[in-house]
Amino acid sequence: MDCRNAQRSQPQDEDIMDIPLDDPEANKAAAKIQASFRGHMTRKKMKDEKPREEVHKKQRERK
Amino acid sequence: MAPKKDVKKAEPKKAEPAPAPAAAPEPAPAPKAAAVDLSAVKVEFSADQMDDYKEAFGLFDRVGDSKISFDQVADIMRALGQNPTNKAVNKILGNPSAEEMANKRIDFEGFLPMLQTVVNDPQKGTFDDYVEGLRVFDKEGNGTVMGAELRIVLQTLGEKMKEAEIDALMQGQEDENGCVNYEAFVKHIMSV
Repeated sequence: MDCRNAQRSQPQDEDIMDIPLDDPEANKAAAKIQASFRGHMTRKKMKDEKPREEVHKKQRERK
Repeated sequence: MAPKKDVKKAEPKKAEPAPAPAAAPEPAPAPKAAAVDLSAVKVEFSADQMDDYKEAFGLFDRVGDSKISFDQVADIMRALGQNPTNKAVNKILGNPSAEEMANKRIDFEGFLPMLQTVVNDPQKGTFDDYVEGLRVFDKEGNGTVMGAELRIVLQTLGEKMKEAEIDALMQGQEDENGCVNYEAFVKHIMSV
């Protein structure tokens, strides 16, 4: 079973079995979190790529 | 359940589940009717917001036709502070084919009701939603989750993320034991 997790540190087998692959609620919650992650990463990427003071200024004002 | 009549043979009549309330049974695949009626969406952004959005829209237009392609819509929404799921965006776009995603373009006016739809979504995630979602994996109830487990969850549940995305996301988030304080993590995520 270790080969499944070759790369990273070794989560217990139980942990893997605990992951509710078919649970719609769990998947829905995961999708929501992943959406926030993707949002964050896109915004971070844009900030890094376009350090235009104007864009930042507007972002701050919007909040 | 029907009271016992003197039925000898069990009638194989499966009690039909009540027909779904509103929806008529969908016979043939409907022509791609928009799952979201964008024309019914009232766009309610302030002048300042419109300025912001117009500017971002301009940045995303790589062709110079004052339009963006379908496959840019999710990203521009994210750039503008929203966190739509890919599923939500697809629904708003009318569940486009891969070809449409790459080639169909929309102008700013067409984009606004799409953005408004996302902004109006009552199911938008909040700080609490995200924290609660992660708390499920907090086995010891001590405010941390195993980074390794979180990575697996992100790769196998929901809208699966790729390893490279996850690496970028998790950079600097795990402590020396490989644990992530998820409240701090979510705060960090929401700060940008």
